[in-house]
Amino acid sequence: MPSEIITLQLGQCGNQIGFEFWKRLCLEHGISPNGVLEDFATDGVDRKDVFFYQADDDHYIPRAVLLDLEPRVIHTIMSSPYAKLYNPENVYLSKHGGGAGNNWASGYSQGEKLQEEVFDIIDREADGSDSLEGFVLCHSIAGGTGSGMGSYIMERLSDRFPKKLIQTYSVFPNQDEISDVVVQPYNSLLTLRRLTSCADCVVVLDNTALNRIATDRLHIQNPSFSQINTLVSTIMSVSTTTLRYPSYMNNNLIGLTAPLIPTPQLHFLMTGYTPLTTDNDQTVNVRKTTVLDVMRRLLQPKNMMVSTGPDKTNHHCYISILNIIQGEVDPTQVHKSLQRIRERKLAQFIPWGPASIQVALSRSSPYVQSSHRVSGLMLANHTSICSLFERALGQYDKLKKRGAFLDQFRREDIFKDDLSELDDSRDVVDCLVQEYEAATQPNYLHWSAKKGQGE
Amino acid sequence: MNEGNNMAKDPTRETLKKLIEHSNATFSADDVLREFRITKEKRNNRKLLKILEIISKNQPKQADNLIEAAKLLEKKDPFYCLLNFLNHYSETNIMQTMRKKDMSSSTPMLAKTMFENGTPDRVSEIKERVVQAACGGLSRTAQNNNSIISAGLLSTTPIPSAMPALGGCSLFPSSTKNNSRIDALWDFHNIENIQFQQSNIAAIPLSSQENLLLYDLIYCLTGMRGSYITPELDAVRDGNLQAFSMKFKISEQIHSSLRDIAQEILPLASHYACIQQFIQKATFSNCSQVLQALSEALNNLIHDYYLLLAQLESELNAGNLTLHKMLFYVRPTLNTMEVLAGAVTLIVANELRGGQALTLLFNKISALTGDEESQKFLIQLTQRAAMPYMNILQLWIQKGVINDPQQEFLVEDNEVIRREELPEHYSADYWEKRYTIRRERIPCFLDKVSDIILRTGKYLNVIRQCGKKVTPPQTMNLQFSPTNQNHITVIQNAYRFASKNLLEVLLKENDLMGHLMSVKRYLLLHQGDFITQFMDACEDELAKNVDKVLPMTLENLLGLTLRLSSAKHDPYKDDVHCELLTYDLVTQMSKIMNNEEEYWQTHDRLDLNGLECFAFRYEVKWPVSLVLNHIAISKYQMLFRQLFYCKHVERQLCKIWKENSIAKKFSPQAAELYRSAFTLRQRMMNAVQNLEYYMMIEVIEPNWHIFIQNMSKVENVDEVLSFHQDFLDSCLKNCMLTDATSLNRSIFKMCNICLKFCEFIQKSQRFFLDAELTSMMCDSNDEENSESDYEFASHKQSESSMAPTDTFSERVKRFDLEFTGLLIGLLKQINDVASDNPSDRFINLVHRINFNSFYNEQMDKLCAKDSMMGHHNHQ
Repeated sequence: MPSEIITLQLGQCGNQIGFEFWKRLCLEHGISPNGVLEDFATDGVDRKDVFFYQADDDHYIPRAVLLDLEPRVIHTIMSSPYAKLYNPENVYLSKHGGGAGNNWASGYSQGEKLQEEVFDIIDREADGSDSLEGFVLCHSIAGGTGSGMGSYIMERLSDRFPKKLIQTYSVFPNQDEISDVVVQPYNSLLTLRRLTSCADCVVVLDNTALNRIATDRLHIQNPSFSQINTLVSTIMSVSTTTLRYPSYMNNNLIGLTAPLIPTPQLHFLMTGYTPLTTDNDQTVNVRKTTVLDVMRRLLQPKNMMVSTGPDKTNHHCYISILNIIQGEVDPTQVHKSLQRIRERKLAQFIPWGPASIQVALSRSSPYVQSSHRVSGLMLANHTSICSLFERALGQYDKLKKRGAFLDQFRREDIFKDDLSELDDSRDVVDCLVQEYEAATQPNYLHWSAKKGQGE
Repeated sequence: MNEGNNMAKDPTRETLKKLIEHSNATFSADDVLREFRITKEKRNNRKLLKILEIISKNQPKQADNLIEAAKLLEKKDPFYCLLNFLNHYSETNIMQTMRKKDMSSSTPMLAKTMFENGTPDRVSEIKERVVQAACGGLSRTAQNNNSIISAGLLSTTPIPSAMPALGGCSLFPSSTKNNSRIDALWDFHNIENIQFQQSNIAAIPLSSQENLLLYDLIYCLTGMRGSYITPELDAVRDGNLQAFSMKFKISEQIHSSLRDIAQEILPLASHYACIQQFIQKATFSNCSQVLQALSEALNNLIHDYYLLLAQLESELNAGNLTLHKMLFYVRPTLNTMEVLAGAVTLIVANELRGGQALTLLFNKISALTGDEESQKFLIQLTQRAAMPYMNILQLWIQKGVINDPQQEFLVEDNEVIRREELPEHYSADYWEKRYTIRRERIPCFLDKVSDIILRTGKYLNVIRQCGKKVTPPQTMNLQFSPTNQNHITVIQNAYRFASKNLLEVLLKENDLMGHLMSVKRYLLLHQGDFITQFMDACEDELAKNVDKVLPMTLENLLGLTLRLSSAKHDPYKDDVHCELLTYDLVTQMSKIMNNEEEYWQTHDRLDLNGLECFAFRYEVKWPVSLVLNHIAISKYQMLFRQLFYCKHVERQLCKIWKENSIAKKFSPQAAELYRSAFTLRQRMMNAVQNLEYYMMIEVIEPNWHIFIQNMSKVENVDEVLSFHQDFLDSCLKNCMLTDATSLNRSIFKMCNICLKFCEFIQKSQRFFLDAELTSMMCDSNDEENSESDYEFASHKQSESSMAPTDTFSERVKRFDLEFTGLLIGLLKQINDVASDNPSDRFINLVHRINFNSFYNEQMDKLCAKDSMMGHHNHQ
């Protein structure tokens, strides 16, 4: 009766990061690419059943549903050594195969059309688990399938499974390069609305920050998708270690997320990871890493996987922090580190409620050798995340002002009558930005949103 | 003594041979010896004299020596007479050599102090021989020996004096003191028929008077009535030893100067009688072994005392003894005998046995500091008396066996039933109760090691019960000596050995650490996913009133969870069971605090739900239960209950978090209404989770870390026990479960207000949140599923029964007030406790909950003794 989690991978990006995620989980749990438990991993005290189930022949199958409207990525997965890992019935590829053309509306409409088949898979998966705790969605917000179809599925999920948690790993587009997807601002905004109102918890994976980290910190010129996705899979796997290697606390999804999210709207989390290294990095072991080192570094913006931009007024603050520390940790160090951070005021917290850094000491996989004594992942609810939404709003406003590229949206059912959906979405996102800004103020409790000034 | 016999052969026999050669007699030395060894009944004094006459032919002073021999034959043992006789003709002093040998080998304690040189020494040797002769070379018990010696000494006394000692136990049980006295012929027994010669001696010269008095004194010192000295009758007739400072009356006819000196000597007779009586009593087989040993040792001393008397007598016979001399000779003995008589009197008077008797003797030793001689005797005496006790002890600490027929040993085996008859899960109780220390039986010199003595044997038994054979590495030589601590060392070594062995059995064969990890997993909530699953499964059952909770249901659910969760890999999962205690944690604490009758007794048990009474029980078998005994388990349970309760609160808060997350769909305007409730929930969550984090990550985990480190270099079982206890105590203390300041009560109250709030929010959910949602959905013209039956119904209901909105806010506000009041109170309380005990970790909890100084203002306010009303509002 574990608290099972079903992973839904949508679109090109979603399936790619999902693929990396499963690869990583297999490695950590000692599961071979075809789902068979390796000989060295038979005495495991880990919990594989949160993310996997066992078939009749005992081999492990991910609780994953792979969805895409175009075949490229799924074909790559199905021709990889991990092809046999997945339940083929859970791999859904649109028969028409034309994709969503990077159009949110197209993805949304196709999602609507395909919902019966998709929810057949999801329902079957849900029925197959004893006490399903929730869904994890992997997608990007900028494309067509992940954003559009993802939005539709999120809406339906929250209707059909109101008691289940919906967590997403949402990839935000890279702002440093000019996207070939011209309608990206529309797509993002429309998806953000669903993320705000349907998801319980959104882990923001900002491609801007990920690319910067890859180039600046890891010294990779022109980082490839797979290199970026390695970073993402690290974040995804570490953020679930407390579920897979349970200890005292945070051993279910709700216990992990609830303390981070005080009010329902403020549920966008950013992540940070340290130490950031690549395989060929030789400079890592120059010093002994302590818990304090790790915790201090996690508070540095350069290690954050979200590019929030400079906080000019320096008013943004942490709503909550959870540090998942792995490795050889002397538990007595935790208190000292917390004390140091508190005394030196290394982190700025909200003024309207108690907030603190929670530290979860997590076991890590015995099968994956890490060159680092201690490593840490931070899951933080920080008000500066709203700068991402502000940016999205700005880009949307620019595009919307010109009325550009709206034709391809009007073709789909949802925009058939009018474009109010876009405006509504803008209101919701604007409201979200306002709420995050309000959360930096002591009177947040009595704040109320003003109607947006868009249009 | 037999040894002495062999060695004595040379001078005696040589002298004899020489005489025989001289006299041209026809028999050999051995023949002579044989003749003189014949028992009294058969012997013929005349024949013996004849032999002496023959062999002493042609020797000087033959006539004188023969007369002396004749006299001795009348009174004494013939062998004594022979030796005495031979002594006159020996070149080397027969007795001297014998004595030296004896000195080096064994007993004479008193004899040594008596005569420094010259002839008296001979007497001592003669006496020695006599004793040997009387023994006939047979190894008899000392008691018997003694009787014969006395018989030998006092040849006028009829021989059956030995008999009561042998047959006394059956004929005259010790309880009837008077009966036994009848046979105590040494005890100034008044033999009715025998009239002592009582001639008028007042007229005879002083020196002759002195001589007569000396004879009488010697009689008296052996416990015989003399002609002129008679014991004061009442003292004699009063069988109680306590009154045994016996008085003697010396005939008025004796000159007063002599009388005075004699009176100085006479207490010796009293002491002698006292000791002798004790010896007699102690010979009964149902008597304490220690007392028996003591009496044997005393017997040896008495034996030396007889030697002294013999020497005196022989001096007297030789005409060399005066009263003054005698007083001089007996003085050291008098001292010693007084001490011994005193000790013996106390033992009998207080009916001391075993350890108590040893304690008394031991204490006497130190009391005698300054009186070296007596001290030395008493040390030897104590040593010997302790021997049987030490034998029992040795058997116990070497084999774990108690052989204690007289119930003297400090450890008592209470085994009533055999192990095979015990139920499968015989508890640690069994071992705790099976062997117990009888405090009153501990000799004081073992007092501080009594505990490890108990455990040594117990451990050995444990190891044996585990089916292992224990072979001690070296032979043990446990002897008690009051002057050194060797016995303590031996005991400690034995203890270390047993403890180390048991440690191996515990750690290696019974996987103690595995069990402890298992306990930590369940009772300290280390395996969080299992706890979560278990709580999922048992939630409904535990929410019931404790009287309605079905233990079987819980047990079944537990079994199911254990098998389905990740706990299924734990080999010891079946040791976990459910337990419903009859009181909540706070009451349990109060009980421990011993103030249960105050307020909590009135607390009705019926109020409790299953959750408050629930705990896991962990049952282990011997020998793991040695460490995981019921005390340790109940400490674990206390920790468990607090953790479990906090976890429950956290879960409830998470639950309403999920239910409330529906509010993300609300319009921002509507969401504001609920924000105060959400932030209050968040503050509760923050407090409860930080409390959990604090207990788990900052208390249990670091302490466990230390415990594991300690365990890696542990050497014996007691270290294990003490490390484990330290671990638990430190956890309890830092989890605020030991203090008298009722911190845990505050925690409990805080948890309860959180639960009440959850309940309130859940009830309101229907009325407020769903209503909000429904109306919002209606507004947005979303026709998909806004009018489902359920929602419609709830909408209707909410319209009819929904209180005005401000009531919701007000109720939240009231919860806020109450919660904040309690929390700030708790923080303040912790602050106060922490400032008193800076070494404790409590303050960390305050830092955690108040990490961003959110509560500073309120805490300051509270400190400033502002009214509670002002505290909650931080806006």
